[in-house]
Amino acid sequence: MAIDWPTTPLDVINRDPLVVRNPKTWSHHHSYGGWGKFFLGLRERKILATRCTNAACAEKRMWLPPRCQCPDCWRDMEWVEAPREGRIFTWSVVKYPGELFKLPAGTPLISVELDGVCTKLMSWLKQADGDAGGSPTPKIGLRVRAVFNTDRPTNTILDLAWVPL
Amino acid sequence: MIRFGPGNLRIPRFERPVYIVAGGLTDYRKRYPEKNTCQLCVEALRMAVEENDLKVEPEVFRRMVNWCVYSQFADHFGDQLLAAAKVHDYLGFDPLGNIEVKTGGATGGSAVLAAAQAVASGYASCVPVIGWERMDEVSTKVGNSYIASAACKDFESELGWMYASYYALMAQRYQFENNVPRETLARIACKNHDYARYSPYSQNPGQYTIDDILNNEIVSHPLSYLECCVMSVGAAVLIVADEETAFKLTDHPVRLSAICGGTHTLRTADRRHMPILLLPHESQETYRHYFEGERRDWPGFSSFLASRMAAYLAYNMAGIKNPLDDFDLLETHDAFTISDVQTYEDIGLRPYGKGREFIESGDAYFEGRLPTNLSGGLIGTMHAVGATGIFQLVEILWQIQNQWDKFHADPKRWERYGKTKPADFRSLQVKNARRGCAISHAGTGSHVTCAIMEKA
Repeated sequence: MAIDWPTTPLDVINRDPLVVRNPKTWSHHHSYGGWGKFFLGLRERKILATRCTNAACAEKRMWLPPRCQCPDCWRDMEWVEAPREGRIFTWSVVKYPGELFKLPAGTPLISVELDGVCTKLMSWLKQADGDAGGSPTPKIGLRVRAVFNTDRPTNTILDLAWVPL
Repeated sequence: MIRFGPGNLRIPRFERPVYIVAGGLTDYRKRYPEKNTCQLCVEALRMAVEENDLKVEPEVFRRMVNWCVYSQFADHFGDQLLAAAKVHDYLGFDPLGNIEVKTGGATGGSAVLAAAQAVASGYASCVPVIGWERMDEVSTKVGNSYIASAACKDFESELGWMYASYYALMAQRYQFENNVPRETLARIACKNHDYARYSPYSQNPGQYTIDDILNNEIVSHPLSYLECCVMSVGAAVLIVADEETAFKLTDHPVRLSAICGGTHTLRTADRRHMPILLLPHESQETYRHYFEGERRDWPGFSSFLASRMAAYLAYNMAGIKNPLDDFDLLETHDAFTISDVQTYEDIGLRPYGKGREFIESGDAYFEGRLPTNLSGGLIGTMHAVGATGIFQLVEILWQIQNQWDKFHADPKRWERYGKTKPADFRSLQVKNARRGCAISHAGTGSHVTCAIMEKA
C-alpha cells in the first residue's frame, strides 16, 4: 500500500530565498516544585517567603522569591509570611513588552523593598493616587501595600501586585 | 556568596601561553534569510583563515586544528538543538572533538575562555572558536520574549517578557543613587552609533544628536530604542593557539594574557549587600564616602558583581595595575547605555558612583585616554548573541595588529555586503595599540568574562 503525501504544507513566506512558516503551538507542563506553595499562598492573600533557621548558618536570611534551601548553608528553610507593606526601590514603565505579556503596555514594573527580607522582589504597580485614566505613576520610596488576584488567578507572579498605602 | 574564603579568590593561571592568531566576521543584519547559519559560519571562518595573512594555506590550517568551541546563546532562536554538530560537520571538522558553550550574552566570551583553557592546559594546540546567532526566525516581540526566558521564568519573565525593562529598573535606581544626567547616557548611544558608521559589518549605524536619542520612542522608561542593542543575525570566528602553532601561522599573533569569568544571581532582586571587592588600584579609602546619600548597598541594582569579579581576576592574572593606563582600547558589552556606565565602574575606569566621568571627560572616545567600542558595539554594530564576545576580540585583534584599516577601510569590503563606504569615512585605528580589554556580559550581570589581549 502506498502512503499518501502529507496534507499539511508549510506556508511559503518568500520564494527566493525560500522562507517557510514553521508553527510552534505546544504547551509545557511546568512544575513550580517546592515553590508552588508561594503561588498557592497568593490565593489566600499571603506572601510566603522562606527563612533559614540553621543556627550554624552565617547568614540566616529571609528570601522572597522563596527558596526551599538556603544558598548559604544548603539546609531546608522554613516558610514564613513576608510583610504586605513595603517601599518602591525602583521602577520602570514597560512601553514595548515582549510577546506573552498578560498586562497592557504602559504597566509600571517595580522592585519592592520589604522589611526583614534580603531581596527586592520584582512586581508591578496596579494603581496610584491621582491616577487620571493613564498609567499609575510610580516613585522611588513610595510606600505600597500588596494586593492579590484571588478571583481568577493566573497562577503566575502577576497574581501579586501593589498599590500606594 | 557574600563572604570569600581563600580558595574563592585564587588568581587563575595558564600552564602555557595562549595566543590569538586570526579573526573573521560576517556582516550583521536584522534579517538575513539569504544565508543559513551554516553558510554564515563558513563565511566567518574563511575570512579568519584566508584574509588574516596566515603563513599557511587553508588546507594546511585545517590539518592543524585539533579541537573546536561553538558559541550560540539560545536554541530557541535557531530552532535547532545540537546546532553545533551541524555547523561542525558543515565546516568539515568531523571527527575532531568539540564543545558548545552557553552563558547567555556572555556566551562568546565564555567560548573563548573554554578555548583558552584547552590550549593553556595542553589539551589542544589549535582551536577555532565559532559563534553565531540567528534571531530573525521570529518577530521582534517574540524575540524579546525568548530573551526574557533568560530571566527567572518563575518569578520574573512574566513581568514584561522584556529584558530592556530589567535594565530599566537598574537604570532608574542608578540615576536615583548617582544623579547621572540623561544626556550622559545618551552620549554613549551617540558615540557607538557613530563609530558603527565606519564599520562595513554594522547593522545600526547613525549620526544622532543627544536630543535624537532622548526624544526617541521609549522601550521601557527611561531607555529609548536608540539606547538599546540591536537584535542580529551573523557569525564571528577567532583562532586560538599555543605558542608554537601561533608562530607557525603568523608572525604577528596577539597574546591572550588573561580571560576570567565571574557570575551573580540571575534575579537582580537577589543581590545582597557585601563589601566592595577592590581592584588593584583601589583601596578602602576610595570608598570611604560611598555609602552616603541614597547609596545603601553594593552591588545593589547599580553595579555588577560578576563584572567586578571577572576584572579582579583578569587584572591580577595579567598584572594590570590601572586599566586606564594599561589598556589602549576597550570593548564593553553595551547592551544598554545604562549597563555601559555601570561597567565603567565595575572594571575600575572610575570609582563606583563616578562612571559618568569616563564619558563626560572624553576618555571613552577615539583618541581619548581609553577608546571604547570603536567597533560600534552592541548598540551600533551587532548583537548576534553567540557571536558578540568573539566579535569584540576580533576587533581588538585587528587593532593590536594594526590591521583595522585593512578590515574596515577597503571599499571592496563595503561592496561585499552591498554597502557603499561613507564619503566622510575616517580611520579608527588606534596608534600603537598594544593592549586591549573586552567585557562579555549576560543577563543583568549573571555571567561576565574579562579578556585581556596584548602584543606578543
